[in-house]
Amino acid sequence: MTAASQMIGPIVASFTQVIAVAGSGLILIGLLRKVRAHLEGRVGAPLIQPLRDVRKLFRKERLRPDQATWIFPLAPVVLVATVGAAVAITPLITTHPAMGSGSDFFALIYLLLAGSTLLALAGLDAGTAFGGMGSSRAVTIGALAEPALLVTILAMSAAAHSSNVPAIVHATLSDPASVATPQRLFALGALLVVIVAEGGRLPVDNPATHLELTMIHEAMVLEYAGPDLALVSVGEAMRLTLLLGLFVNLVAPWGIATTTGAAALAVGLVVLVAKVAVVGAALAVFEVFTAKVRLFRVPELLAGAFVLALLGVVSGVVVR
Amino acid sequence: MTGSAYAGALGLGAAVVLLCAVVTLWRRALGAIVRVLAVQGLALACVAMAIGVHEHDAGLIVVAVLVLAAKAIVVPTLILRVVRHDPASRETQPLVNVPASLVAAGALTFLAFAASRSVTSLVPTVVGRLIPFGLAAMLVGFFSLVTRRKAVSQIVGILLVDNGVALIAFLATAGVPLIVELGASLDVLLVVVVLQVLANQLRSRLGTTDLDQLVELHD
Amino acid sequence: MLALVIAVPVLCALVSGLVPWRRATGWLGAASAAGVLVLGIALAVGIVDGRPVTGVGGILRADALSAFMVIVIGVIAVLATCQSVRYLEAEIAAGRCTRRHASLYGALVQGFLATMLLAVLAANLGVLWVAVEATTVVTVFLVGHRRARTSLEASWKYIVICSVGIAMAFLGTVLFYLAALHATGHGAHPLDWTSLVAQSHRLDPGVLRLAFALIVLGYGTKVGLVPMHSWLPDAHSQAPAPVSALMSGVLITVAFYAILRFKVVAEGALGPAFPRTLLVIVSLLSLALAASLLLTQRDVKRMLAYHSVEHMGLIALGAAAGSPLAIAAVLLHILGHGLAKGVLFLTSGEILLAEGTSEIERIPALLSRRPVLGGIFAFGLVALLGFPPFSLFVSELNMLRAEFQVGLGWAAVLSLLCMAVIFGAVMSHGRHLLLGPKGSDAPAMTPALVAVPLIGGLVGCAFIGISAWPLEPLLHAAARVVSP
Repeated sequence: MTAASQMIGPIVASFTQVIAVAGSGLILIGLLRKVRAHLEGRVGAPLIQPLRDVRKLFRKERLRPDQATWIFPLAPVVLVATVGAAVAITPLITTHPAMGSGSDFFALIYLLLAGSTLLALAGLDAGTAFGGMGSSRAVTIGALAEPALLVTILAMSAAAHSSNVPAIVHATLSDPASVATPQRLFALGALLVVIVAEGGRLPVDNPATHLELTMIHEAMVLEYAGPDLALVSVGEAMRLTLLLGLFVNLVAPWGIATTTGAAALAVGLVVLVAKVAVVGAALAVFEVFTAKVRLFRVPELLAGAFVLALLGVVSGVVVR
Repeated sequence: MTGSAYAGALGLGAAVVLLCAVVTLWRRALGAIVRVLAVQGLALACVAMAIGVHEHDAGLIVVAVLVLAAKAIVVPTLILRVVRHDPASRETQPLVNVPASLVAAGALTFLAFAASRSVTSLVPTVVGRLIPFGLAAMLVGFFSLVTRRKAVSQIVGILLVDNGVALIAFLATAGVPLIVELGASLDVLLVVVVLQVLANQLRSRLGTTDLDQLVELHD
Repeated sequence: MLALVIAVPVLCALVSGLVPWRRATGWLGAASAAGVLVLGIALAVGIVDGRPVTGVGGILRADALSAFMVIVIGVIAVLATCQSVRYLEAEIAAGRCTRRHASLYGALVQGFLATMLLAVLAANLGVLWVAVEATTVVTVFLVGHRRARTSLEASWKYIVICSVGIAMAFLGTVLFYLAALHATGHGAHPLDWTSLVAQSHRLDPGVLRLAFALIVLGYGTKVGLVPMHSWLPDAHSQAPAPVSALMSGVLITVAFYAILRFKVVAEGALGPAFPRTLLVIVSLLSLALAASLLLTQRDVKRMLAYHSVEHMGLIALGAAAGSPLAIAAVLLHILGHGLAKGVLFLTSGEILLAEGTSEIERIPALLSRRPVLGGIFAFGLVALLGFPPFSLFVSELNMLRAEFQVGLGWAAVLSLLCMAVIFGAVMSHGRHLLLGPKGSDAPAMTPALVAVPLIGGLVGCAFIGISAWPLEPLLHAAARVVSP
């Protein structure tokens, strides 16, 4: 029984994670918009407005460009699937998700990358000028963020002697002071910059822009309509929630469940929701006070993140 | 101060010194660069203070206060005065663009860690292992001096080199003899005063502090 | 007595700074330089017979090497301060300089002398560093005295490059301190030179290698060795002539004195090989650079500045050889070069005053138009190129001998090649300057007050070339300090 429960527990935990992230991802987006609206002096749409938008989109007609191939409808599905898989194996609520031993940091990143690569291809597939422009910009930013991300993962893995994400979170749990070392601080700083870049938030990309020439992500998905667009929105919301949840658990993992008991899972869920809400609100506040960086300055930003991560690696190697 | 808290504080201070050096390569606005320099001076003073308190060395504490006054307050104020009068107070296109400079800074950090092996082996305490941070900050300052064109950026480069050397001095030896440290701080102050006077003269003579305009003496 | 040596110029600086400039204050400056020279000679006489002298609670210490350097500083300071009087008078008369600026100049020159004396008399390597840094700060305003565009550019480059060099020298000093602390524990005065030399065999070699390299690069910046030389041509050509004479004649050799002090300690810890290699590389690079750039010089003072780089390269090569003969030759070269270069810079200052330009193309036929000045300049060039009877011949010959004895023959040959190129370049420039068709003007005469000190300097240079008496015992004692 215990062996079976040992197998079932993580699966239940992962399932909970996926449902929670899928549901609350859109609410997080709503929260970000609400905080921003309040700071700008508006009342703003209710928190569940993105959910309503997605529900509306699912009922609409499915429109596709004539020259689109099979990539176009496949991309949103793959996006949601890969993000869902990534959520399932990430230690968000508990440090024992399903396939815990396979939950490698590098694998996680490349799962996310698979989804966004396919989305970029779909942007090209649509055959319009804006789709291509958005795709090329998004891929450029992704390519620049990748070295920074890899070196950040190296820095964090070096500290925990493993690139298994639950192991890294465990290491932080057991040694709280290690978060204040220069190595971790540099790495977390770099990770924050990369998350902002990958998640398509200010100062890299403005998610609320309507001007095509300033769009990066929006231009990529400009041709999507109806259920496809709904899937894309859900996928992106889940992605942002996953990234923020991962960041929060790397910085301050206290409250996360270390077993897979029902009570621990419930506590972990509540704590995760609270932490992600706080970080999301902080991100929204930061966005209000930041201007969008011009596109040719984005490499500078990401190079800075790369060097920050490099400093993290170097200082960790030496100051042991 | 307990051992690990001491080591943590020192590590943080040294890391902030190096971080500030790298950030000066990143930012373009001269006012922001000078403020980063002030933060670096503050971190340096904290490192000196931590070492002084831990070793119960009154002279070092005096030096820490001196460093705080000179490098974190007086010097940045003097430079900001020069910057404020300059209408174009941003760094014009540097000789090496920003992403390449940042990557070069990473490479220089590696170089510093490799080059200071002999020194860190001589001081095997946790303090000694932070010496490469100082050397890296010095090399980054040197790089910034060579690749920047504005007069103020060159002043900032000199100060970065000085701060890196001061960090190494504090970490390696718990401070050189008081008289030398006093002389060093005084000289930094004097150098900045001299540079400010020269920058003013340059500006009144040439109307700019863009060193690109100074090309009359060459072979 | 040591404190007196430094106090004299300091007092004079205070006096010159406080009153607006008059001829009298100018001559007071010359008197203070003469006083320094006399005190230096007295010091040397005392030391050669007896033991090193310490003063001011151990901060100052004079051994044979320091005494020799004090004499060098004194001699060239006398020449320069005498000429300063005329220079400042001419500048004030032409309206290019106010009396306040002139008094500032006088004070700064005396302060310059004081800091150089502090550097050579320091017992503690940290105090040495502070003094050398102080010389940089003091001379910046002297270099930019004329407030022209080019002099501002030169002084900017000077302070930026020399500040970086000084910072590197500071790091080198700190690493020496670290090694000393590690070897002796928290002893008293770990940076004291004599105790460092005594402990040198116990110092950690790895740290010392890094430290000595930083010292050579750092103080080498002030010496004008490649690769940190680029301030030298600008600063020495844009400064007023007396200041150029002091800087080119003395300051760069004081910085080299610092390297010599550190070399003794480094050799004790590392053996002769590493310091020798480092100095050979740096000196050959300097010689090569000076040789290649001298070919295309168009300005007299810039040519003389690059020539200083060459001579510093030669001195470094001699120091690399390291035997007592080599060091004695190096010290003699320091004195001879200081005299000859000082005279030449002062003469070029006179030429600048008389002709209004210092470009070689625009000053033809100097010998026929201004025979005295031209003659002094010609003899000065001859002295610098190493012809007998001037002392540079003797010192260069002995340096070459020592290099061959030690096994640096290949480096000596390379240096000879560079010297040959430089010889050709300087002769060609000199020919343009001195010879040429006589114009219709009558030859202009130079006042005796100007010519006499310059001729005196050249005669002195020849005198010590013919017979090293009375300097011989001092030179040998000083050489023993560096290479026992």
